[in-house]
Amino acid sequence: MKLITPLIALVISSAIASTAMARDQREYHQMVYDSGCKTCHDQGLKSFPSDTACLQCHDMSDLAKQTARKGHDAKQNPHDSMHYGQEAPCMECHGEHTKKQAICMDCHNFDYPKFN
Amino acid sequence: MQTRRSFLKFGASAATVGALAPLTAHAQSNQVEWDESHEVVIVGSGFAGLAAAVEAAKLGAKDIVIFEKLGVYGGNSTLNAGQACFANTDLQKKLGIEDSAELMVQDQLKSGRGYASEELLRHSAELGPYIYQLTKDCGCVYRDHIINTGGTSATRSHQVIERSGAGFIRPMLKTARSYGVKTKIRHKFEHLITAKDGTVLGIQIRKGYHFSHEDSGKLINVKAEKGVLIATGGFGANVSFRQALDPNLGEEVGCTNARGATGDGLVAMLAEGAMPVHLSFIQSGPWASPDEGGFGYGAGFSLYNFPHSIAIDRNTGQRFMNETADRKTRADLEVQRRDKDGNPNPALLIAPKHEAKKDPSMENVLRYNVAWEFDSVEAIAKHFDLPLAALKQQINDWNQYVKQGEDPQFGKRMNMSTGIYLTAPFIVQRLWPKVHYCQGGIQINTKAEVIAAKNGLPIPRLYAAGEVSGGVHGVSRLGGCSTPECMAFGVTAARSMMKA
Ligand SMILES: Cc1cc2nc3c(=O)[nH]c(=O)nc-3n(C[C@H](O)[C@H](O)[C@H](O)COP(=O)(O)OP(=O)(O)OC[C@H]3O[C@@H](n4cnc5c(N)ncnc54)[C@H](O)[C@@H]3O)c2cc1C
Repeated sequence: MKLITPLIALVISSAIASTAMARDQREYHQMVYDSGCKTCHDQGLKSFPSDTACLQCHDMSDLAKQTARKGHDAKQNPHDSMHYGQEAPCMECHGEHTKKQAICMDCHNFDYPKFN
Repeated sequence: MQTRRSFLKFGASAATVGALAPLTAHAQSNQVEWDESHEVVIVGSGFAGLAAAVEAAKLGAKDIVIFEKLGVYGGNSTLNAGQACFANTDLQKKLGIEDSAELMVQDQLKSGRGYASEELLRHSAELGPYIYQLTKDCGCVYRDHIINTGGTSATRSHQVIERSGAGFIRPMLKTARSYGVKTKIRHKFEHLITAKDGTVLGIQIRKGYHFSHEDSGKLINVKAEKGVLIATGGFGANVSFRQALDPNLGEEVGCTNARGATGDGLVAMLAEGAMPVHLSFIQSGPWASPDEGGFGYGAGFSLYNFPHSIAIDRNTGQRFMNETADRKTRADLEVQRRDKDGNPNPALLIAPKHEAKKDPSMENVLRYNVAWEFDSVEAIAKHFDLPLAALKQQINDWNQYVKQGEDPQFGKRMNMSTGIYLTAPFIVQRLWPKVHYCQGGIQINTKAEVIAAKNGLPIPRLYAAGEVSGGVHGVSRLGGCSTPECMAFGVTAARSMMKA
């Protein structure tokens, strides 16, 4: 039974997806989907979530620690970069339903192997 | 009653906001429903906007707001190489460099080829030492070394230690906030709200805007008590706009600018009858690489290596330009490198590793696949499909020029490469110009007031500063000369608003 639940959830959410905008989703966000679109879409379903939406669960300074780099590369930490510090909002680089890439890549061929 | 001009004005504004009818393009202040009101309203968070905010706060403004349309602050300024030409600073004196505002103006007039504004250049150059100090007071830290940039007769390009405009933007943003300046991202300026006589009352803003989703967010009206400063930067990233002005600058030419450099502020001011100047003078950077986006790391590599390296056409295996000519000369020649079918076939910059390794840029270009190392001329010819004999001959000839200190082929100044022979191993980077800077924009005066096209008089309570303004530099801006000018006119706009 436990194995089936996520499957059902997937079927349901993809049914919703075909009517609404939602397409891709991160598996590890299943919990968030379960609690409803408004969990993130705090400004109405037709609007982008606010820049604080992701920060309900994620903490920028923790992320900065997780993606810290050493020496010269320290400035390439996408969550604490030379250009934007810890201020770049999540959605500048990440998209839940749309594929995106880090804004750093507008000018640099950096390697962010775990980017998603 | 609608005059032809007011009809035009209405039309332009209506186009900007689309189906959502604008309140009015020009109205009495009491007819507009204001959602917010601020003493000083600044649009754009680059050098010009931030310098204005800091100066206005110093002069006692209590309610200053900066609206930025992107999710991040700093526009082109934070991508910038961190260089700023100032004349007559304490650092220059310490290093024994003699310089003056007058000399800086003369250098810039020369490169402006008769089109630059002597008055605006002088105003900006004279404010240089003040700006230098203002940035230091904000916490910006300069290197002890001053850089020599092209076209200058004294060494004056001061550089922050980050070697990036971020070294200005982040401390200035912090300082502005410490004075209580409100800074807002995702707030896109849509158009000006003016009274019947043209006086600027405020602006319409799209709050909650997400870049390239033009109908995202909601519209609000913001009243400006002392005035509006438009500091929205250039239009280099707007392909159709720039190509209309210069047909050579289509999609296949890259761009070093931030995404937000689309000319919004310029278009909105044109709609209010502001005077456009030199819009077609658009500068491309000849030091860019097609193997990364924007300015990247390649620009730094070629800037360092151009003096002692050669740029080679892939069809002929021969040089095709003076590698240290001015930006325009080189960019125009680079973009002509084509294959048989007319497709871009970027030239190769061939640098000697023994010299290239002296600059940190080499490590970066090699690591991020922007340049590659080859241990022989044969290997280069094979990899890039070049005529080997011609390339060999060219390298031999070049080394002869290094020896004799004279370049009969293209007249390059050879005293920068004395004793630096082009020998293996080589570092090779591809070259393809990228749109970099807009000399043109809206006309301003030495008070940073925006000038109306119809009568040459200032438009009341409308100010512009930075790359959105035009006519300062004429045909070609010198390297390192935008940073100080953006800040000087930002400061000037703040002073004008606080005096008015
Ligand atoms: C890669 C690069 C390197 C450079 N290096 C140097 C250098 O070393 N030295 C030098 O002197 N010059 C250099 N330049 C040029 C110089 O950096 C720019 O001319 C300068 O930064 C422009 O500053 P600004 O304040 O006018 O505009 P910007 O810094 O571009 O700021 C304008 C801001 O306004 C925002 N904006 C635009 N439209 C709207 C709107 N409708 N509503 C709200 N906000 C809006 C933009 O998003 C942007 O953040 C460089 C430029 C580039 C691109």
